[in-house]
Amino acid sequence: MIDKKKYILSLENIRKTFPGVTALDNVTFRAEAGEIHALVGENGAGKSTLMKIIAGIYSPDNGSIRLGGNIVEISSPGKAQSLGIGMIHQELALVPYLTVGQNIYLGREPHRYLKAFIDWKKLYNMAEEQLGALKLEVDPKTFVIDIPIAQQQMVEVAKALSINAKIIIMDEPTSALTDKETRILFGVMRSLKEQGITIIYISHRLEEIFEIADRVTVLRDGLHIATSLISDLSQDDIVRMMVGRELGDLYPKNTIPQENCILEVKNLSSGKLLKDINFHLNKGEVLGISGLIGAGRTELARAIFGIDSFDSGEIFIDGTKVSINSPGEAIRMGLGFLTEDRKEQGLFMGMSVRENITIGVLKKFSTFGFPSFRKLKILAGKFIKQMNIRTPNVNQKVKNLSGGNQQKVLIARWLNLNPGILILDEPTRGIDVGAKAEIYALIDRLAGEGVGIILISSELPEIIGISDRIIVIRQGEITGEFTREEVTQDKIMQCAAAGGRYAS
Amino acid sequence: MHLKEADLKDFLRKYSVAMILLIMIIALSLFSWRFLRPSNLINISLQTSIVAIVAIGMTFTILTGGIDLSVGSVVALSGALASGFIVRNGFPLYSAITLALLIGVGIGMLNGLLIVKGNIPPFVATLAVMAIARGLTLVYTQGRPISGMGDDFVYWGSGKIGLLPVPVLILIIVLILSYIVLRHTQFGLYVYAIGGNEETARLAGINNDRSKISVYMISSFTASLAGILLTARLWSAQPNAGVGLELEAIAATVLGGTSLMGGYGGTGGTVAGAFIMGVLANGLNLLEISAYSQRVIKGVIFILAVMFDIYTKKEKKKG
Amino acid sequence: MKKFFSFLMILLLVISTVTFAGGKKEDNEGLTLGLSLSTLNNPFFVSLKEGAEAKAAELGAKLIIVDSQDDSSKEATNIEDLIQKGVDALLINPTDADAIVPSIKKANAAGIPVFTIDRGAAGGDVVSHIASDNVAGGKMAAEYMVELLGGKGKIVELEGIAGTSAARDRGKGFNEVISANSGLSVVAKQTANFNRAEGLSVFENILQAQPEIDGVFAHNDEMILGALQAAEAAGRTGIVFIGFDAVDDAVNAVKSGKLAATVAQQPGEIGSLGVEAAVKSLSGGSVESSIPVPLALVTK
Repeated sequence: MIDKKKYILSLENIRKTFPGVTALDNVTFRAEAGEIHALVGENGAGKSTLMKIIAGIYSPDNGSIRLGGNIVEISSPGKAQSLGIGMIHQELALVPYLTVGQNIYLGREPHRYLKAFIDWKKLYNMAEEQLGALKLEVDPKTFVIDIPIAQQQMVEVAKALSINAKIIIMDEPTSALTDKETRILFGVMRSLKEQGITIIYISHRLEEIFEIADRVTVLRDGLHIATSLISDLSQDDIVRMMVGRELGDLYPKNTIPQENCILEVKNLSSGKLLKDINFHLNKGEVLGISGLIGAGRTELARAIFGIDSFDSGEIFIDGTKVSINSPGEAIRMGLGFLTEDRKEQGLFMGMSVRENITIGVLKKFSTFGFPSFRKLKILAGKFIKQMNIRTPNVNQKVKNLSGGNQQKVLIARWLNLNPGILILDEPTRGIDVGAKAEIYALIDRLAGEGVGIILISSELPEIIGISDRIIVIRQGEITGEFTREEVTQDKIMQCAAAGGRYAS
Repeated sequence: MHLKEADLKDFLRKYSVAMILLIMIIALSLFSWRFLRPSNLINISLQTSIVAIVAIGMTFTILTGGIDLSVGSVVALSGALASGFIVRNGFPLYSAITLALLIGVGIGMLNGLLIVKGNIPPFVATLAVMAIARGLTLVYTQGRPISGMGDDFVYWGSGKIGLLPVPVLILIIVLILSYIVLRHTQFGLYVYAIGGNEETARLAGINNDRSKISVYMISSFTASLAGILLTARLWSAQPNAGVGLELEAIAATVLGGTSLMGGYGGTGGTVAGAFIMGVLANGLNLLEISAYSQRVIKGVIFILAVMFDIYTKKEKKKG
Repeated sequence: MKKFFSFLMILLLVISTVTFAGGKKEDNEGLTLGLSLSTLNNPFFVSLKEGAEAKAAELGAKLIIVDSQDDSSKEATNIEDLIQKGVDALLINPTDADAIVPSIKKANAAGIPVFTIDRGAAGGDVVSHIASDNVAGGKMAAEYMVELLGGKGKIVELEGIAGTSAARDRGKGFNEVISANSGLSVVAKQTANFNRAEGLSVFENILQAQPEIDGVFAHNDEMILGALQAAEAAGRTGIVFIGFDAVDDAVNAVKSGKLAATVAQQPGEIGSLGVEAAVKSLSGGSVESSIPVPLALVTK
């Protein structure tokens, strides 16, 4: 018999099903007071569902929840808050046109007169204090839409802290934070832990888990796999438990770039965003572009792909000077661009896998404007098989797939167009280890076929692992360039953060 | 210098609607000396007050990301009911008005319930209720206008307190109340929160359903109020009153800088938007522009005004 | 910022061009008359407007025309604007007899004489009402119907906007004659609001309900033309159609034999007589409080 009193929060034998899926099957999760408890698993393993049950968003079909030893029913987000459970959601959940202060205390405004009127002065004073505790220099009266994403994430943290939570759930809180901001967040987490607050921490970044967590629980396919002290495990152990098999080499590198240059960018400038960018890309080469969030990496990709106009500069493809004014033109010149925001800018979430994969080639498979759905279905089926996309059939709506499979659908659409140059912007953001490995293998294979690949990524191990060459951008300028052999994480960070041109 | 420019942009973002209104007033007064006479300005305020009152309620629904197409029909229904209660049933004035307002609010509640409990998109639900309310008006009036309400009723549309016509005074009161509700109460904050990010509002423990039903009740309330004022102004309840008024109210709201997606805007801008349309209509009449070309000009100015508003906002976001 | 100012300039420019384009210089010489029309989407009122314009030009008076778009509230607004504009007299073709009253009282208060055109008003001081003698017109139509049907048959009446004097009077004259003939009965009576599309749909429904129809009278041509279309589409023949107003389409239909007759109002004449009465009154002459405009039956 387990001593249940030891745990501030314990979920016993939780089961939760959605139409057609068992999200959680007999899962037990126990957290101690004042610990940082990491929760890991691939997408679809059930982490988010479990956390939403704790936060009162879902209620379980089966099982019990104990808080401080007493059985509780968490029927709504409001109930969770009043029980001292705060949650920071993975997707930014702030109201854009409300102020920082209004967002922090949304639903819990200090009021006066008949409880209907808000005491703005008190609200902003409280917000100021809360932000101060996080060392966040933001005026609480600023609209959320006017502050950078990273600061928005910290506002989320402030919001969770402001309910005087005993338990805080953090779902991928660092995915949009810079390294410096991550440090601050970790500092805050440690001091919260000292105050006896329990933090449940969800992250795909195993390095972070090893740095900050005390214990870890692994879920896979809705099942509880293991709970253990983090110090008893290695990264490989955790990955093995998450994936359920050996992954082999995460970063395969079997190809070497060819000599001929297929893309060259000369003196590209655009306002304050991009300053005098020069680089080239060879056939079959993987060129990594590193830098902090907001450094101008995505802006560079968008300028090349004809989405945003730029002030000056020249682009050469296969040695010929080109002018690209729209994504359509870029595609006709053999470029492909995988956006970092697959939900908003990449996929048609409400449309099927088949429609999403084939939308770029409809014309090729049409007679007099009527597409042959039979051929398109065969084509989509081919990609589903080739890329190991896990979907019940080609007509499944993309929004019902896991992040990794969504990403593969989007990549399949681009491969359909046979691009000679493929720009991948954060291709593995928010997807699990297994799918990541498949995407890395795919990149290697494409490079072997002669495709030139530009890889934009915030994950240093990834960019170092699969790039032939890496350039670093800081505030719109190239501050460093390294070959695969000479690059290290420190060198990249030095260029990305400190600036100073690094000659190679 | 740089700082000054930023300040100017910020000012423009906040007050671009007021700027457009000002530009139009200046332009029109250059071309017609009659335009700026106090009697004409009062005249414009009176003409605009009814649309503006309806548009204030509309703004609440649009702020939550919804819309209320039923307001024009509610205007007709409440006017007909208030008049009918007085003329046919011999109700005292204030009982008749109160009852008509209550029925109006009931229609708003119906809108809200259809949207929240029935899960019908606001556009569709209020479109249906628009037809229902118009039909009820026609059934109640048998298609004929109702008149003969007496001077104490007519006072609400045609009377004056000092220099101010009563409907203008009521507009001012409604505007002040709406400002207090939106900017100083929890409910007001939730209206913005729901429009900005409904899911977040729900997760913050806010009862979205209650707030959403409330905005449709407010919208129907202002429409009913406007219906009674319009009836009092025309001394007769017209069964086809307020046809197309919902579009004017939406136009005023959008001109006033409220986002059709919800979450951003306010009633001050809406009233300015209504005045832009009122000033324009009055000015074009004073300038003797032919009735046919007036419509074209209104369309063109509307597009320009909205572009101006979008432009000033974009400036700020870039900078 | 430069962009912003150029935008501002464009806005100003457009507003001023627009205002210049229409804004003739204000002059206060001669008489200025304001004419408020219930709608300009109906050819009848367009003819009325043209008659008024021609007469005004002839007499050297200035005419400002506003369009109420069949909306009482717009009408009130437009008339207030005309009062602000300081017109010497107001010619009003009301959308509704009751709803026009406050506007007429406002004009009265401002000392501006008011003339009602085509439709009357239920109150306020009106110098003169200029309109077709609609009761006589209704009788004229009914008598012709009696003649064509031989005093026997089932008749449908399509009514105009309820509450308008035109609908009231035309119906009154028509029904007076019909009810005096025991062989004739009105089997259906519905409003189609003076509108062709409504005339079409309303008559479609009546055709469904009434297996036997011998004659149709509509309070205006727009409605009768709609009804005609409905009957043709349904393949119903042998029905006598009589309209009112003699608009171009109706006159053509009479020529081709589809329409038995239409009562010719003379809208141009109404407009013209209205302007004449106003000018006469303003220059000190006396005018009758009711000026009937003659009607005529248009047949093949």
